Amino acid sequence: MDSDNLEKINQILDADVETRERIKEHVTEFDKKARTLSGILNRIHSTRTEQMPTLLDIARPVLTSCQETTAALADIIPPHQFWKWKDMWSNSLRSAVFSAALIEYLQSGSLVSLPQAAEILGIKTDWQDRFTLSVEDYLHGVINLVNELSRLAVNAVTLGDFDQPIKISLFVKDVFAGFSMLNLKNDLLRRRYDSLKYDIKKVEEVVYDVSLRKLAPSSKQPS
Amino acid sequence: MTSPRTLTSRDSILHAFGRFTDELDDFNDRRERLIKSSRDITNLSKKLIFLLHRTVTEDPTETDDRLLGLRAAARAKGKLQEIQSLFAALRGELAGDRFWHHQRNISPGLQEYIEALSFAHYLEHRTLISYDQVQATLSDPDGAPFFPLPLEDYLLGLADLTGELMRFAIAAIPRRGGRQKASDVCSFVRACKADFERLTPHFKELRKKQHVTAQSLEKIEDATYAVVVRTSEYDLPPELLDDLVAQTLSRAADHSRFGEETSRKRPRDSVFDDDDD
Repeated sequence: MDSDNLEKINQILDADVETRERIKEHVTEFDKKARTLSGILNRIHSTRTEQMPTLLDIARPVLTSCQETTAALADIIPPHQFWKWKDMWSNSLRSAVFSAALIEYLQSGSLVSLPQAAEILGIKTDWQDRFTLSVEDYLHGVINLVNELSRLAVNAVTLGDFDQPIKISLFVKDVFAGFSMLNLKNDLLRRRYDSLKYDIKKVEEVVYDVSLRKLAPSSKQPS
Repeated sequence: MTSPRTLTSRDSILHAFGRFTDELDDFNDRRERLIKSSRDITNLSKKLIFLLHRTVTEDPTETDDRLLGLRAAARAKGKLQEIQSLFAALRGELAGDRFWHHQRNISPGLQEYIEALSFAHYLEHRTLISYDQVQATLSDPDGAPFFPLPLEDYLLGLADLTGELMRFAIAAIPRRGGRQKASDVCSFVRACKADFERLTPHFKELRKKQHVTAQSLEKIEDATYAVVVRTSEYDLPPELLDDLVAQTLSRAADHSRFGEETSRKRPRDSVFDDDDD
């Protein structure tokens, strides 16, 4: 290999190595924020529905702080190279999407949309080919939401909220209907999608228990 | 600009997921098309490599390396252009950020192409083709690349080249001047291996291929050693030894149906034909 060629190769390599290291710094930060959020939101399983808004107030600023991280990352990525680097922050991003989706469900009972989740995380559309919220990352976040809600259905009943599992049941079935429209390959997303039916089953069992025992207000006789 | 809304109903969820389906289908369909193209490219590249080997070994009377090299390069040209036009056709599919989304799908074909290209380049110039030169073959006449050449694919394609050079060197040994050629290839491959060594920490695949390169190098080294040891037994210049071997072979060819037509000195119905044995 002649020296010009070697120099060219080292140039390309050095640029890549530097990009990778800068990304890593921010991903470490991102990961911390995602874990903090997870920790806060884990308390939903021991929080009564009436106290939920207070818990969400604690979580929201942490979610918003992710905006600095996404902006910093977008700044580092060279044009058109989003897909080259995205695996480095994928896990943190999916976790953040999950948290955003969970907060949205708890406050409004609806599913956060992809553009909405992107906005919450400060992801701008004109970063398009450098940093974006991909469909896959969004979908993984939503699947995590369903997993979490199936657990919440059980714990809400323990805490005396007999409506929550009914609402959750309707919600997760709609989400599952959405997922069923996708033509998935035999990849991780497919396997995670397959796991949704177990969550639905679990929620159905809670709904069954609650309805039969006439615990849910909607199943009680009008007085 | 209105704020994006939450999905509050089953309908809105289904609508959103309908769009996801379109987007994922689009990606998967493109992925399949690119994998097919990559396989076509791999197929053509492999055929070209075989053609190059054939060209430099088919004519035992031709001993001018330069000539053989140029002949190989000339035959390669059309084939290489065919492959390059396949790459050119993928431009649209790989525009913008799509390239990196699909890089893995075309990587096998790209590496095989680089192996063939660099082999033809070596036969013509006896040097290693540079990164810029490879990128230039994957660009249009104005110099605009069809897509960015990943460093990893360039290096891995070259790593595979060393295997072909090993085959080339060993096939060359029995021919006139073959030992010198093998020795040249040996030094070249050794230098390549050394250059790649510094880059292996960054590319896992390269580390694996380095092992194969080391084995190829050892094969060439063993072959050149064997030849040197044997020729040292005779106090004759190497070219004369080559001629002695060639004469023995041509006498044997006269007595059998194998061997070169041009070296036949007797007519077919000679008393020495073994047709009736």
